[in-house]
Amino acid sequence: MAINQTETITPPGGRLVHRASPSQKHGLLWRWRRASPLALIYAACILIFYTTIFLIPFGTAIWLSFQNWDFLTTPKFVGLRNFAKALTDDYFWQALRVSLLFSVVEIALAVSLALLLALALSHVRNKPQRFFLVLYYLPVVTPTVASIYLWRWLYRPTGGTLNALLASLGLPEQPFLASPDQALWCITAMVIWANVGGAAVILLAGMNDVPESLYEAARLDGAGFWQMFLKITMPLIRPVLVYQVVVSVIGTVQMFEPFFLIPGPGFSTRTLSLYTYQLGFQTLNLGYGAAVSLIVFVLLLFATVFQLQRWQVNWEH
Amino acid sequence: MAHNPAIPASPPPALIRWWRRDQNRLEALLMLLLIVFSGVMVYPFVWLFFSSFKTGSDIVRIPVTLFPAEWTLSAYQMVMDPERANLPLAYLNSFMVTAGTVLTVLFTSALGGFVFARLDFPGRKVLFYFILSTTMVPFLTLLIPLYLVMKELHLLNSLWGLWAPSIFSSFGIFLSRQFIYGIPSELYDAAKIDGSGDWGIFRNIILPLTKPLLSVLAIFTFLGTFNAYLWPLVILNDKDKMTLPLVLSRIADRFGALDYQAVMAGSVLISLPPLLVFLIFQRNFVRGIALTGLKG
Repeated sequence: MAINQTETITPPGGRLVHRASPSQKHGLLWRWRRASPLALIYAACILIFYTTIFLIPFGTAIWLSFQNWDFLTTPKFVGLRNFAKALTDDYFWQALRVSLLFSVVEIALAVSLALLLALALSHVRNKPQRFFLVLYYLPVVTPTVASIYLWRWLYRPTGGTLNALLASLGLPEQPFLASPDQALWCITAMVIWANVGGAAVILLAGMNDVPESLYEAARLDGAGFWQMFLKITMPLIRPVLVYQVVVSVIGTVQMFEPFFLIPGPGFSTRTLSLYTYQLGFQTLNLGYGAAVSLIVFVLLLFATVFQLQRWQVNWEH
Repeated sequence: MAHNPAIPASPPPALIRWWRRDQNRLEALLMLLLIVFSGVMVYPFVWLFFSSFKTGSDIVRIPVTLFPAEWTLSAYQMVMDPERANLPLAYLNSFMVTAGTVLTVLFTSALGGFVFARLDFPGRKVLFYFILSTTMVPFLTLLIPLYLVMKELHLLNSLWGLWAPSIFSSFGIFLSRQFIYGIPSELYDAAKIDGSGDWGIFRNIILPLTKPLLSVLAIFTFLGTFNAYLWPLVILNDKDKMTLPLVLSRIADRFGALDYQAVMAGSVLISLPPLLVFLIFQRNFVRGIALTGLKG
């Protein structure tokens, strides 16, 4: 009753449009008349914007995936042939394999490492904590292009600093980026170096939200360090962890620069993102490129929904 | 009296007593982990810094040495040379695009957060979820069609084309909406009853209160725009229009082989602005991440 009353009061200045309670008992016309002009202008602008940079391009991508087009001649409708082609295209499967391997390993290692670092950081006093955080965050803010060239130099097979480091430890020199077996993992290590600080900051923020009283109670009950971590910290930061993993999946699958700027031996480091780019802008196979990019979209959608679903299930326990 | 704990035979030294406490041992171990890891994180930067003062042949010398054999600024002179790289012009381009994007995103996000959190209009919910759902589609899928759209709009090869796709940010709108939900709605209602218009309320009440959020959003947007590579690569051709990351990759790659002298000095120079922004605002930044609920 009280809620309805506030909605019917009209202040002297004009309409009182209320926040989260679009009234059920009033019709659409009523809502149109009472809508704030500012909101309508904003909504119109944003609609135009997303139509231009999202709806039209997305529609075009879907349309293109049914065409054969090389930028110059007129597009030719080929039905589902582009998608069928992907299924039998060895290059596609190889790119998919590289993308999957890279994403899974990068996320598993980066998130576990970030978790360990956040745990260590949460046991450190305020000042040194911020000092370490800033250090760990430096690679995150460094332009990707700069880090990539820098790491190419560190990884040089002859005379690279990492090989010099290995030699000083008495270990054999490695070909690193020059080897089809190692190149992908070298890139993975670089990407982990670049991303782990960001994940650690977010996980630490999650850990700081866990009420201290829970730990105190557990300590009184005689719980050890690992017990507290597994039984209190982990369950309580689960939403943050899931968020981090979802964001990482989206980020790693779309990652482009390292694979583009580090020409791996053969196709050993060609991911789906690089393959799509090459199909579109280098071999000018726009229809097929669009089809591959849509497959990536669907895979990513499934991966995200699957993770969120799993999290929801666990959440209800 | 068989045992008198008050008189120990000889008390162990303080350090050993300290080490015997589980808690202390654990904390020392964690501290060690943090320090070792700091070394790993900083290692590439140390090499980058010293190598940028080396001569071209010194950089690729075998065996490699950390300190330059002879300190020189020739690498910096080379990348600042208008004939060769023209980094100053690229700085200008990068700054124009970054400043424009940051200001636009801050404005549209703050206003969007206000509109979606406090104002009512038909289709508000649908529109909001539509905006959120756009983030599900990878940029990769939109890349080629977006290029075609920009071509139709005659925005190819111009800095406006870099700016246009980021006028609105779904991430920014979402963060700002969450944040404005946290501001008591009584403030809004009271101003409304006093006769303020929505724009006035946004300008005078909401905007000042969202400052902590906006400073975080500004840093993220700055870093994202300044460091962007793929979209500039796709739409910029003219070397006078290129932004810093593009110029770096242009001068670094010389007929397939890397020109490491250009790489080192160039990398230092293009990393400076984001590093400085981060170091100046780091206090806000770390606090802001907790504040924005970015963590989920």
